[in-house]
Amino acid sequence: MRIPLSWLAEYVDLSGIAPTDVAARLTFSGTEVEGIETIGASCPGVVAADVRAIAKHPNADRLRLVRVFDGTAEMEVVCGASNFEAGARVALARLGVTLPNGLTIAATKIRGVSSSAMLCAADELGVSDDHSGLLLLPPDTAPGTPLAEVLGLPETVLVVEVTPNRPDCLSLIGIARELAALCGRNVRRPELEFAAAGAPIGERVRVSVEDPARCPRYTARLLDGARSAPSPLWMQRRLRAAGVRPISNLVDVTNYVMLECGQPLHAFDLRMLKESRIVVRRAAAGESLRTLDATAHALTPEMLVIADGAHPVALAGIMGGAESGIADDTTTVLIESACFEPTGIRATVKAVGLASESSYRFERGVDIGNCEWASRRAAQLMAQLSGATVAPGVLDCYPVPPAPRPVAMRWERAQALLGIPLESREMMAIFKALELPVAGATDAGCTVAVPSFRVDLEQEVDLIEEVARVHGLDKIPAPAPVARLVPGADDRPSRSREQLRARLAGLGLDEAMNYSFVSERLLGLCQVGDPATRVKLPNPISADHTILRDSLLPQMIETLGRNKARQVTAAALFEIGRVFSRGTGGVYQEEERLAIGLLGPVGRGGIVSRAPVTAEEVFGALKGVVEAIWSAQRLPVREIAGMRRPAVDWIGCDGPLFEAGQALTILLDGQPVGRLGVVSRAVRAEWRMTEPIAVLEMAVAPLLAHALDVPAARPLPAYPPVARDLAFVVADAVRHEDVVATLLQAAPKELVDIRLFDVFRGDAIGAGRKSMAYALTYRAAHKTLTDEETNRMHESVMQAVSKGLHAEIRAG
Amino acid sequence: MNVQELMAVQTQALAEVADAGAPAELEAVRVRYLGRKGQLQTIMESLKSALPADRPALGRAVNELKQSLTAALEARKAVLDAAADAGKTSAWDATLPGSWRRVGSIHPVSQVIAEAIRIFARLGFTVADGPDIEDEYHNFDALNTPAHHPSRDTQDTFWLEGRRLLRTQTSPVQIRVMESQPPPVRIIAPGRCYRRDTADATHGANFHQIEGLYVDRTVSMADLKGDITYFAREMMGADINVRFRPHFFPFTEPSVEYDFSCHVCHGTGCRVCKQSGWIEISGCGMVNPKVFRRVGYDPETVTGYAFGMGVERIAMIKYGIEDIRLLYDNDARWLEALA
Ligand SMILES: [Zn+2]
Repeated sequence: MRIPLSWLAEYVDLSGIAPTDVAARLTFSGTEVEGIETIGASCPGVVAADVRAIAKHPNADRLRLVRVFDGTAEMEVVCGASNFEAGARVALARLGVTLPNGLTIAATKIRGVSSSAMLCAADELGVSDDHSGLLLLPPDTAPGTPLAEVLGLPETVLVVEVTPNRPDCLSLIGIARELAALCGRNVRRPELEFAAAGAPIGERVRVSVEDPARCPRYTARLLDGARSAPSPLWMQRRLRAAGVRPISNLVDVTNYVMLECGQPLHAFDLRMLKESRIVVRRAAAGESLRTLDATAHALTPEMLVIADGAHPVALAGIMGGAESGIADDTTTVLIESACFEPTGIRATVKAVGLASESSYRFERGVDIGNCEWASRRAAQLMAQLSGATVAPGVLDCYPVPPAPRPVAMRWERAQALLGIPLESREMMAIFKALELPVAGATDAGCTVAVPSFRVDLEQEVDLIEEVARVHGLDKIPAPAPVARLVPGADDRPSRSREQLRARLAGLGLDEAMNYSFVSERLLGLCQVGDPATRVKLPNPISADHTILRDSLLPQMIETLGRNKARQVTAAALFEIGRVFSRGTGGVYQEEERLAIGLLGPVGRGGIVSRAPVTAEEVFGALKGVVEAIWSAQRLPVREIAGMRRPAVDWIGCDGPLFEAGQALTILLDGQPVGRLGVVSRAVRAEWRMTEPIAVLEMAVAPLLAHALDVPAARPLPAYPPVARDLAFVVADAVRHEDVVATLLQAAPKELVDIRLFDVFRGDAIGAGRKSMAYALTYRAAHKTLTDEETNRMHESVMQAVSKGLHAEIRAG
Repeated sequence: MNVQELMAVQTQALAEVADAGAPAELEAVRVRYLGRKGQLQTIMESLKSALPADRPALGRAVNELKQSLTAALEARKAVLDAAADAGKTSAWDATLPGSWRRVGSIHPVSQVIAEAIRIFARLGFTVADGPDIEDEYHNFDALNTPAHHPSRDTQDTFWLEGRRLLRTQTSPVQIRVMESQPPPVRIIAPGRCYRRDTADATHGANFHQIEGLYVDRTVSMADLKGDITYFAREMMGADINVRFRPHFFPFTEPSVEYDFSCHVCHGTGCRVCKQSGWIEISGCGMVNPKVFRRVGYDPETVTGYAFGMGVERIAMIKYGIEDIRLLYDNDARWLEALA
C-alpha cells in the first residue's frame, strides 16, 4: 500500500519526524516499509502550457503537431498522445530540462519536423505511472505556471507491506493510528458535517439483505443533483500518489474514502436501479453480469450479488456492474457502504478470476463498525465536490452488531513470555495509545474490549504481541544462551550421516546436489526405476520437472555428461538424497540414497597419465571407493580364514543402464541394497561420452546403521608370518573371486592373507589366457612356522589351484 | 735434507691437495707423496744419511708432514665426495606433483546444515527429521494456517493425491516431534522443501530450510533473541549484529523476522546488502498456544520458540555465491574449489 506523507499528515501530526524515521517506526512495529519514494521531483523547467492549435503531422499518422503557448512564447511541438484538444492545459518541458526519468530535452527532428520541447505524460514527470496520455492540468491554470506550483510536488510516499492479519492498516487512518501510538501523538479524524434536504432515503429506496451471514451489514445513502466533473487537483494528486487513477469526482470520492478509512464503497446511479431497490442475495442459476471492466460473468448460486428489483447490478464486494455505475450524466447517487464476509468473497474472487482493491480488503476483514461513518464521509465529499444534496437518513441493515470481544491478559504472563519486567501501567498505556479500550484492570491483569477494527486480536498472546511491538523488540534483552539437555535425545543418526559425507570427501569425492524433480525424458533415457510406481506431479512447474526422482542415477549421469560437455576431464562426485515412489495401495514412499559417479582418470594422482581410461579402471576405482566406505562406516564384516571382509555379496546386474557384464548388484544379508557398473554406450551417447563412466547407487540406511560402532581392538600376532608367492596361468574366464574361493577351500587355517599383485596378458602367455600372481601369507597362532611346514601347506594350495582352476603353476 | 726443505715440501703438497678438482686428481696427489714409491718414502730413506744429532728434529718434521698431509687429503676427499653426491641428486625432481589423492568437498548446503547442527548442539539441540511428502494436516492445519491462506493454493504448493503434498517448509517436523514426545523439546530439523517458484537467481522449486523448536517451562522472547544472536555470530562471525522486526506467521505469536548485519560492509551499506547494511534471514517467534493445543501440550504450563532459516540463502551469503542455481549446477571445477 502507498502512503503519501502529506495526505497522512491530515490524520496524525508527524512534524519534526523525518520520513526515514517514520518508516523505521512502522517497520519495527510490524508494518514493513519496503520503500520510500519521492514522486514528481520538483521538475524545474516544466510549466503549464495552453494548447492553441493541433495539426496533423505531414509524415506520420500517429503523431500530431501541437501549437502551445508557455506564457511567454508560442512554439510547435510534435506529440504522440491524443487525449487532448485545443484549449487543454498540458505540462511542457522546455529545451534543456532533465525529467525525473533522466531524459534531457534536446532540439530534435521527428519525422522531418523539428521539435524543441516536449509535452509530458504523468509517468515521465514522476507524478504516477500513468502513460495512457498527457498529464492534463486544470483548464484554468495560467500558462507559464511552474508544474511544482500546480501539482504541489514533490511528494514523499511510503510503500508499506501490510501483513494479512492487519487489514486495519490498509488505510491512511489505520497507519495514522499506528504512528500515533508509536510516536505519542493523537489521531485526527475528519469532521463530518453536511446539510441534508429533500425526501428521506427511506421513502425512496428499499434495501433488503437476504443473506445476512454473507452480508452482516449494508448501508445506503442517497444524493441528488450531482454533477460529474473531474475532481479538484488536490484529490487527484492524492489519489495518483496513492497509485489510483483519478476518473471523476463521484468515483474518485469512493476510492478516496476507501484509502482514507479502509471501507470499500460503491456508487450506483439510482436511475439504473429497477424499482429503486437493493437486494443483497445469492445469484440465481443462469444469471449473468457484465462488470465495470467490461467482462461478462456467468453467476452461480454460491455468489453473493447486489441486485435491483430485477437483475444483479454488482458482484458483492468485488466489482460493480457496467450498466448501474456512475456515468457522466449521473445526478442521483446511491452510496453503498457494506461489510461482506471474507470466505464468500474469496471463493467468488477465485471462481470468477476477478479481484479488486475492494475484494482485497473484504478478503482480509473490513471494520464492520465503520460502514456508516464511511458512508457519511463519502456523502460529505460528494456533496462538496459535485454540488449534490444529501437526502436525509441512511438505510442501515445491521441485524446483529457484534459486541466488543473481551480478551484478558495477565501482567505476569506478558513479562514472562517477553522476558522483560515491563510495568502494568506501561502496558495499559500501550493499549490506550492503540485505541484498545481496557475494560477492567486488576493487580493480576487487564481485559481489553477489542474494537471491531482489530479482527486479529483473539487471545492473550495477541495482546502480548501488541505490547512487544509497540514497546520495541529492541528493548528485549538478548542474553547469552543457556544450554539445557533433553533427556534421551539421540544425535547418532545425524552424526553418522555427517561422518559418511566426511569420509566420502576424504576419499576425494566432491558432493553434488540435484533437484528432486526429473523429466520423463531423462528417466526414459536411463530406463531405471519402475514407471508404474513413480510419483508424477499433478501441477509441475516445467516440463523438465514433472516427476519426483525414484533414482539418483539419471541426474548423476547427466551431471557427468554436463561436466564432460564443459571439457571437464575428471570428476568424482557423490550425492546423498531422497528418492520417491508409490508402494502397495499407492502409498507414498521415500528413501535416502547415495549415488557416486566417476568420470576420467580420477584415481590417478601425481603425474596424470594420458592413457585412456578403461572400463576396468573406472569400475575398479568405484569399487575401491565402495569398499573403503563400507569399512569406514563399519558395515558388518565376516571373518573367513582369519580375513575380515564386509558381509556383502556381489552378483551380476543386468539392465539397459549398464554395459553388459560390467555391473554388479550389492547384496547385504541376501537383500539387494544397491548396484554399480559402467554406464552403457547407448546412454552415454546422449552426452557424447565415448569414454567409460561408472556410477553407483545404494541405500544410505545400511551405511548409517553401524557407523558409530566402536571396533574391538585386536591383538597383534605373536609369531612371524611367512610369505610365499603363487603365480599361475589360467583361462581368461577364471575370475579373482574364483581364485580366492579355491584358495579358501584348500587353505589351512594358517593362510591369513591373500593379495593379488599382478595380472598379465600377452603373446608369451597365449590368447585367451592370463597370468595371475598372488602373495600369500602363512602364520600359525601359537608357534613359528618352519620352512618345511610352510612349504607343505603351500604345496597343497598350489595343487588345489592347479586342479581346481586348470591352472599352470609358474615357477615362483 | 734439512727442516726448511721439508717445510717447502709440505707447503707444496698441501697446495696440490687443495687444487685437486676431482677424486682422481686427489688420488694422484696421495700416490705422489704417500705412495709406496712416493716422495715421503724417499725422504724417509734419506734420513738414514743425516747427522745423528739432526735426526730427531728431522724425524719429528717428517711425521708432522705426514700427518698434516693425511688430514688434508681426507678433508679434501670429503668435499669432493659431497660434490659428487650433489651432482647425482640433480636428477631427482622434488617439485613433481604429489601422487596422493586430493580431499573432496562437502556441498555448501550440507556444510551450512552441519555447521548449524554443531552450533545448536552446543545449546542442547538434537536433529529431528520428517518426510518430504507431507500431509495437509502437518504442513498447514496443525500450524494454524488459515483454511484459505494463499500458501495452500495449487499456485504455490505441489499437491499430490489424497491431500498429500511436498512440504513447503520444515515446520511440520515441529508438529511431528511434539506429537511423539512430551516437553521439553530442543530440536532442529534441516530438510528439503518445495514451492512452485520459477527458478531465478534467488529461487528454486526446491530448497533447504532449518527449523528450530524449543519448548520448556519458561521460554521467553529474550531466550529467542539470545539464541538467534549466538547462532548468527557463530555462523557468520563474532561481529555480526541481529535485529528483530515484528511480523506475522500463523504458527507463532508474537512473530518476528530477523536480519543479520551485513558481514561484508559491517552495516555501512554495500552491494551485497543492497545498501541497507542488513541482510534479511528469516522468521521466528513464540509458539502460538493454538499450535500447542493441537499437539496436546498445555500452553499454560509450557512456552516455546520456533525459528526457521533458508539454508541456500545463508550458504550464498557465506560463500559469496550470487546465483542460487550454481548450487545445483554441480560443475566439478566449482565443487573442487570448495574443498
Ligand atoms: Zn553490506
